[in-house]
Amino acid sequence: MAGKASNIQLWQYITAIMLIFLLGYHLVQRLPWLYNVSTYDQTLTSAIVYHQYRVGGWALLLLAYVALFHGLNGVRNMLFELHQGRIYNTVINVLFWIVFIVFSIIATVTVAKLPPI
Amino acid sequence: MGSVDKEVELKNRKGFWRESLNPWLVRAKNNPERVAYVLHRVTGFIIIAFLLAHILETDSLVWTQYYPINGLTAWSAWTYIMHVESAWYLKIGEFIVAGSVFFHALNGFRLLLTEFFGVGIGKPVEPKPPYEAPTLSAPQRTWLYIVFVLSIVLWAFSAYLIFG
Repeated sequence: MAGKASNIQLWQYITAIMLIFLLGYHLVQRLPWLYNVSTYDQTLTSAIVYHQYRVGGWALLLLAYVALFHGLNGVRNMLFELHQGRIYNTVINVLFWIVFIVFSIIATVTVAKLPPI
Repeated sequence: MGSVDKEVELKNRKGFWRESLNPWLVRAKNNPERVAYVLHRVTGFIIIAFLLAHILETDSLVWTQYYPINGLTAWSAWTYIMHVESAWYLKIGEFIVAGSVFFHALNGFRLLLTEFFGVGIGKPVEPKPPYEAPTLSAPQRTWLYIVFVLSIVLWAFSAYLIFG
């Protein structure tokens, strides 16, 4: 991550704004009344979750990317506060990208290869 | 960085732990913003840890096709995992994550308004004794109290959903 710190912080705010909507959508998916069921656990049954993936899988995938960036960048910023020099900073940046890419791929595979019920 | 600069930097560098924990341990009287600052970081850690686990958990629909759990694959494995996660002690974890998400989101929204859009922080003034920052009596302080209250209300609501 070699971009200017101010640009990266700008992305931190942009992803925060996106998260308000995307995470809001994801949390609403756990409200039992919307699916004519009576408990939170019942919103996690395979039929409902499959339907949610089919209808809004792209939004969940976008949520995963945005949340990963926002969360990992937050941790990265906190780790930078340890001030251990350039090599340390490079390691942190490389780790950021590795974790971000690996988990983004896992999330993509989940949506792209969703098995039928 | 030149060798002289490096020397000066090393000379002035504080101890590792003191330097590392400095942003976390600043103590300020009558300053709920500091409380919010530390809570925002703590809840952020909780959420990112959950997020990574959550991505792996939802991907169980795919990876159990190659590595079955108790002979169960795909949606059968999903149902099994959801059954395991309905245990009360794991629900407590879920409850903690829910509280973290609500506080982090609401406080993050306040930070967006104050830091990014620059609203609710008052106008800059000439520093005069007793040197109280105008931001601390600006509308953002009220918003912060609203954040605390709303977080607790939503957290209580999540308890009703999760344990109900």
